[in-house]
Amino acid sequence: MTGNPLWPHLATIVKIVDETPDVKTFRVVLDDPGARENFRHRPGQVALLSVFGQGEATISISSSPTRRDYLEFSVRRVGRLTGALHQFEEGYKIGLRGPYGNGFPLEELRGRDLLFVGGGIGLAPLRSLINYVLDRRDDFGSVEIVYGARSVADLCFKEELFTVWPKAPGVRVYTTIDRPEYGWDGHVGFVPAYLAELAPSGAGRYALICGPPIMIRLVLQELAGLGFPPERIVTTLELKMKCGIGKCGRCNIGSTMVCTEGPVFNLARLQALPPEY
Amino acid sequence: MSVTTLTAGVMSREDLARLLAGPASEGQLTAPVRVAPEVVLFVPVRDPDAITLDYVNSTVPPKEYLFPRAEKILGWRGSGPQPELVLPPEPQPLVLFGVRPCDLRAITVLEPVFGGPYPDLYWRRRRELTTIVGLGCTEPGPYCFCVAWGISPVAAPEADLMLTPLEPPAAGGYLVAVQSAKGEELLRRSGVGLEAAGTEPGVLRERRAAELTARFRRLIDPTGVERAAERLFEHPYWRELARRCLGCGICTFLCPTCHCFNVIDRTAPDGSGGRYRCWDSCLFERFTLQASGHNPRPTRAERLRNRLLHKLSYHRTRYGLEGCTGCGRCVAACPVNIDIAEVVADLKGLMT
Repeated sequence: MTGNPLWPHLATIVKIVDETPDVKTFRVVLDDPGARENFRHRPGQVALLSVFGQGEATISISSSPTRRDYLEFSVRRVGRLTGALHQFEEGYKIGLRGPYGNGFPLEELRGRDLLFVGGGIGLAPLRSLINYVLDRRDDFGSVEIVYGARSVADLCFKEELFTVWPKAPGVRVYTTIDRPEYGWDGHVGFVPAYLAELAPSGAGRYALICGPPIMIRLVLQELAGLGFPPERIVTTLELKMKCGIGKCGRCNIGSTMVCTEGPVFNLARLQALPPEY
Repeated sequence: MSVTTLTAGVMSREDLARLLAGPASEGQLTAPVRVAPEVVLFVPVRDPDAITLDYVNSTVPPKEYLFPRAEKILGWRGSGPQPELVLPPEPQPLVLFGVRPCDLRAITVLEPVFGGPYPDLYWRRRRELTTIVGLGCTEPGPYCFCVAWGISPVAAPEADLMLTPLEPPAAGGYLVAVQSAKGEELLRRSGVGLEAAGTEPGVLRERRAAELTARFRRLIDPTGVERAAERLFEHPYWRELARRCLGCGICTFLCPTCHCFNVIDRTAPDGSGGRYRCWDSCLFERFTLQASGHNPRPTRAERLRNRLLHKLSYHRTRYGLEGCTGCGRCVAACPVNIDIAEVVADLKGLMT
């Protein structure tokens, strides 16, 4: 059905990476060459993945649009659909439609110093932007990445985190885990506390945050103290969605639909919304 | 909203049966039928005599003929690793007779939801295949308040043919406004000819509207109620009101403008299956419950507030259209007497 926004494209899983005990990254390629050509996303946008027989789920695209041969989705196993998806193997087909949502404000971020703050699976949407920035390194200023997870095993994207990103020019990566662990000589503690210790200046810098709600709340407080104005604090919301295109009525915050007007909001916009997310 | 009338004229009560005979014999007619003493439903009708004309409004709105309760949106063969997608069944042409002005307005209210930058092909296909015969009211029901939203009880531009009963009871015939090519076609195929109205049709309609409007007993003025979304979002009013809400969702299932849906996959033992879009309700806890366990609307207070503010504010903010049409079904059916018209008055009172 051409032009039917609810009709998914078939896509083949070409690679699966076990990130953590409950997170896998699925690299997929759309089967139809035309659909592949037309699928142009911005970092921070989402897609609806179909596991036929289980339904659809909204998942942020964790690959950068600068890498056009594939799309990647990093999925935590939390429910029925994600449980089924985690059973899939390379060569299996899923459905895919999108991209949806606004994505990160690339024009605004151009030339700016960037501070990424992530927790757990919250690094997935940020990763799309991080790799975008690294692929267009001259378009952006310094990059600092503060990332934490419960344990070493729970850190996502380990190869990029420990090998690729720290070697990139003008990039510093700060990783922390919640509790001490044998063999870990890095930082131990929660992300907001680590951020307070690092105390990056808010002067001219943009902060991009994603993680569990409690982390986001505490990080917002820290950032305000560090001099980040609400317009330069950017986060991405995850609400339950069924359509992704503003019709199913599920992801509204007041009269704002997160699927079409979000999921990326700066703190100034977020503060203007009713507190219901 | 202005009504585009191609032609207008008068037809008799007897002509109505002739108008509907063709679609009825072809199995394409859906019309109000009294299926139980207090229940009138839009159902497929093969014998026009089964149609009731003696109803204030249907118990369930005819919305489901454009946006079904459950609709297959895609199918597949061979699930698991290598599915093959198949098209859902094509909807059939339909003549929907007897739609009241409040339910006709609801179509306009829903158009931007199913239209916009991602047009919904299922809705659009059913709209194309459906010829709507509107029927003006003869008597406001005890819960009706369409006039509060600026709706005429006897006319609506959404109908392909709009019938306005000339005298109550409708024995005096109908003023018929032909409002689209589909309406013209239905009339032409039936062979029913329209006679010139003695009085100018617009004047006749206005007169009937004025007579009826004077008989409405629920008089509310919703002007400015949309500001409650900003000014009263965190007011204790919602928690107080929600104490009696059962969360049954009947208001959403009977609302002509509710459009929230769920998407559910069903698989047959042979691995084939289908994806269905089903009505859902924002009053249900699981509506916004995330897989993580987080719920942005965790109690009935947030959920009831969302429903009422969607009708009274959010829809208007998004689309410039009122989200309620004053059909009164939610008021009539609510087991704990939550009354959206009273809510309007309460909110306005709290804001003065």
